[in-house]
Amino acid sequence: MPVAFITGDLVTDVFLGAAALFMLLAIAMFYRAIKGPTTQDRVLAVNVLGTNTVVILALLGAGLGEPSLLDIALVYALLNFLMAVAISKFTVERGGVL
Amino acid sequence: MITPFEAVLFAFVLATAITTALLRDVLSVIVVFAAYSLGMALFYAFLLAPDVAMTEAAIGAGVTTLLLLLTLVQTVREDDNRTFEQLNIPALVVFGALLVVLVATLTEFPEAVGSADAPAWSNPAVTQYYIENAFADTGVMNAVTAVLAGYRGFDTFGEAVVVFAAGVSILIVLGREVFTSE
Repeated sequence: MPVAFITGDLVTDVFLGAAALFMLLAIAMFYRAIKGPTTQDRVLAVNVLGTNTVVILALLGAGLGEPSLLDIALVYALLNFLMAVAISKFTVERGGVL
Repeated sequence: MITPFEAVLFAFVLATAITTALLRDVLSVIVVFAAYSLGMALFYAFLLAPDVAMTEAAIGAGVTTLLLLLTLVQTVREDDNRTFEQLNIPALVVFGALLVVLVATLTEFPEAVGSADAPAWSNPAVTQYYIENAFADTGVMNAVTAVLAGYRGFDTFGEAVVVFAAGVSILIVLGREVFTSE
């Protein structure tokens, strides 16, 4: 490892290291959000990013010993589809968001 | 000490922020801004502020997107083929100068976290009072909740009134828009 982790504890390191790898994956996904070329590509990219975030939050919750982070993961899992639905509806029938 | 997770997360947030500023299509900006919000929520969660992360999750992933889309419905979008905004060089120079000044002030910040001189520690009588008496006074298990909803109850009530007023105002404005368009 090039950089030292917070603790010497192996389990924590594995969880936080996995979270860091998922974060790298997030940057790879974000390439699609930048490149586009259509808005639909971007919506899909950010939707996958949201799912990725739920996994990272769960890993962080396990690694840092904070079960409350799972609540945030749940909120994100519940709200993640909202943006995709809203923008899809916006594209199909312009003006219909809610 | 910066962990690999923080380093990658920082790169992600920076990339999303820059893309949000540079993208030309407003609808794409809204989408990319949601990704920025995801990164910030992760930051809050990593810094062990779950309440702030929860708010960021609810506001960033849900409410902001919907409000911005509702606004976008009322406006006209310019259609051109450029993906990115053209950079304004003078503005960029001013921004760079401001950035240098702000980063220079960073080192002058007092060491607030964990400092023995922080108000929370230099007045142990006050802090200790809440820790010892919060449950007996208010009957609330969580000391932070006890302070917010018990000792500072009127303050929180005032905030709730402000939020309620804002919500009602939004409903009135949106209702009027719908009414006039039909």
